[in-house]
Amino acid sequence: MDYFIQQLVNGLTLGGLYALIALGYTMVYGVIFLINFAHGEFFTAGGYIGVIALSYCIAHGYTQTHPFLCLAGAFSLAMIYSAYLAVGVEKIAYLPLRGSRLAVLLSALGMSIFLQNGMMLTQGVMDKAYPGELFEGGFSFGMVTISYLQIMIITMTVLLLFGLNRLVYKTKIGMAMRATAQDKTMSALVAIGSNNIISLTFAIGAGLAAAAGVMVGLYYGSVHYDMGFNLGMKAFCAAVLGGIGNITGAMLGGLIIGLVEVFGAGYISGQYKDVFAFIILIGVLYYRPTGIMGENIDETRV
Amino acid sequence: MKKKVFFMFVMALAVVSFLFVPVNSSSAKTLKIGTMSPLTGPYASDGTDIKNGALTAIEVFNENGGMPGYDKIKLYPMDTVCDPRQAVATANKLLNLEVVGVIGAYCSSSTIPASTVLNGADIPMITPASTNEKVTDRGLPYMFRMCGRDDDQAPAAVKFMKEGLKAKTVFIVDDKTTYSQGLADGVEKNCKKMGIKVLGHDHVNQGDRDFSAVLTEAKTINADVFYMSLQGYSPAAMMVIQAKRLGLKSKILGQDAIYQPQFITVGKDAAEGVYLTYGYTDKSTPEYKAFAKRYTKKYGAIGAYATYSFDATTVLLKAIKAAGSTNPDKIKAQIMKLDYDGVSKHVKFNAKGDSGSSYIAFKVENGKFVPYWSPAKGFWK
Repeated sequence: MDYFIQQLVNGLTLGGLYALIALGYTMVYGVIFLINFAHGEFFTAGGYIGVIALSYCIAHGYTQTHPFLCLAGAFSLAMIYSAYLAVGVEKIAYLPLRGSRLAVLLSALGMSIFLQNGMMLTQGVMDKAYPGELFEGGFSFGMVTISYLQIMIITMTVLLLFGLNRLVYKTKIGMAMRATAQDKTMSALVAIGSNNIISLTFAIGAGLAAAAGVMVGLYYGSVHYDMGFNLGMKAFCAAVLGGIGNITGAMLGGLIIGLVEVFGAGYISGQYKDVFAFIILIGVLYYRPTGIMGENIDETRV
Repeated sequence: MKKKVFFMFVMALAVVSFLFVPVNSSSAKTLKIGTMSPLTGPYASDGTDIKNGALTAIEVFNENGGMPGYDKIKLYPMDTVCDPRQAVATANKLLNLEVVGVIGAYCSSSTIPASTVLNGADIPMITPASTNEKVTDRGLPYMFRMCGRDDDQAPAAVKFMKEGLKAKTVFIVDDKTTYSQGLADGVEKNCKKMGIKVLGHDHVNQGDRDFSAVLTEAKTINADVFYMSLQGYSPAAMMVIQAKRLGLKSKILGQDAIYQPQFITVGKDAAEGVYLTYGYTDKSTPEYKAFAKRYTKKYGAIGAYATYSFDATTVLLKAIKAAGSTNPDKIKAQIMKLDYDGVSKHVKFNAKGDSGSSYIAFKVENGKFVPYWSPAKGFWK
């Protein structure tokens, strides 16, 4: 039983991270039908801004006096930076090409390669160590060990997901987003600036990914310029599994992929964990081609 | 009509210029050698060490008189990303550049296919880092190895577990590359021979960051030793961090790929107390001291394979100089004759192309790799 609980916590942590990244894919797809391949790079960029901010804090000794302020600062800086980066990418590389879906898709691929190499050149090819030991520690009961970082990741993920849900379903902005997703011309007629709303969608998605980037850095101890590819790919699968375009679906998909990976590795064998994740994906898509939550795609899509 | 004549003239010019270009460019004599190692991707720091080691060797060689008959020695550092396909592509690229010898590659899974290509074209290849047995066991005439072999490393590691760590049980994890899995299988086999019980042997994937599932398994099994065979320091650092957080009680033993200052930089506290096996280099020899002085000034801390790369490049250059030609058979004959004290070890190749192994166990103590135990002498000091 202890083993099961431990693996459950591991799976929830990983699944939460996937869900946060998957939301960016799904939101952008919901609004402009684009699979934003550069999304993984927004996540990596967030991770790097986090390590830069935390290193600055350490260099000035602020981590001793205000550790949580430092952490909050790192998170907000990373999220704001990635949001701006995403809006910039959208304005430069996607907006002028929006007439053709294929052209935007290729532009997204190109942006991904460009950003990844840009990070390689500016940040170097080595792993950047994260000052994660500040928030190290945890508690254990029986054989189960839950670290503060895991609790932080799960709590932050829940808070961010809850906040996003409130934003999309309970505010004017959310209503505008949903309206833009359904019909850009019609929403323009009722005075919704669809270009602004699309930019906002990119910004929110990238902000969530950046938060995941900082958490990945803290949890795994380092960031690397190409880490966005692997995690981004899994998150994309999570978005497809949940029904791309559907926010709740992305959260669910992320959790399922994370849990399946960890339980597959824990109970059968670590070498097949990706296989299990993809078997689930194929199995679900075979019976439900639009994903788990994908059937009412037109109403709830953002 | 006028237009036609003009085009004919342009075309003729184009053809003629092609005929003349090679003549002009070959008048400056350059000796070309290549390195193959991952310069990008997760193993970039080891790959960069290999490149820097080779550059240092050329620098030293030039200061000691250079290569007679050549104006300069040019190094072509190629990026293999530890990907077998990329390794074959870069090997072909080096053939196109007409290099006379190649230092590399890093990952055994890259070295094996690349060496087939290079040996097919009679280009000598010396690997500073690939420890898998198959690298030199396939009978390729121009394949040499500067580092040790996994079938020496595995018994040394097992002997250390038994005698140094007094272990009775072990849990093994590898990441399924030719090198890491080969070594892990070797350890498993030797454990059975030496009477250490293997309680489990699991695999992770290359590029994984999350090892919580496998580590939870290892924690539940709670073997005396957790044997970690991963390709490179970067996943290893992430693994020890997660192991510490999870409260894994087993002693962690790694292999030569994590002998890399970055492992300690990233792993920090979690890296403390980790054991690993790595070829012994006497750091008090004048050769090593001279190398360390020169290398650290320019490139910083010395990683796992910088010394081996330096020796491999020196071996190649010395052999070419002694042979007085770039004929591969003559170079090979000279390489086999070499018998001198290198930076990493005493250089003497056997018929297979190996230069012997000298694995000992290290322990990470206060942010440094400290020699801890040797198969011949037992505990250090």
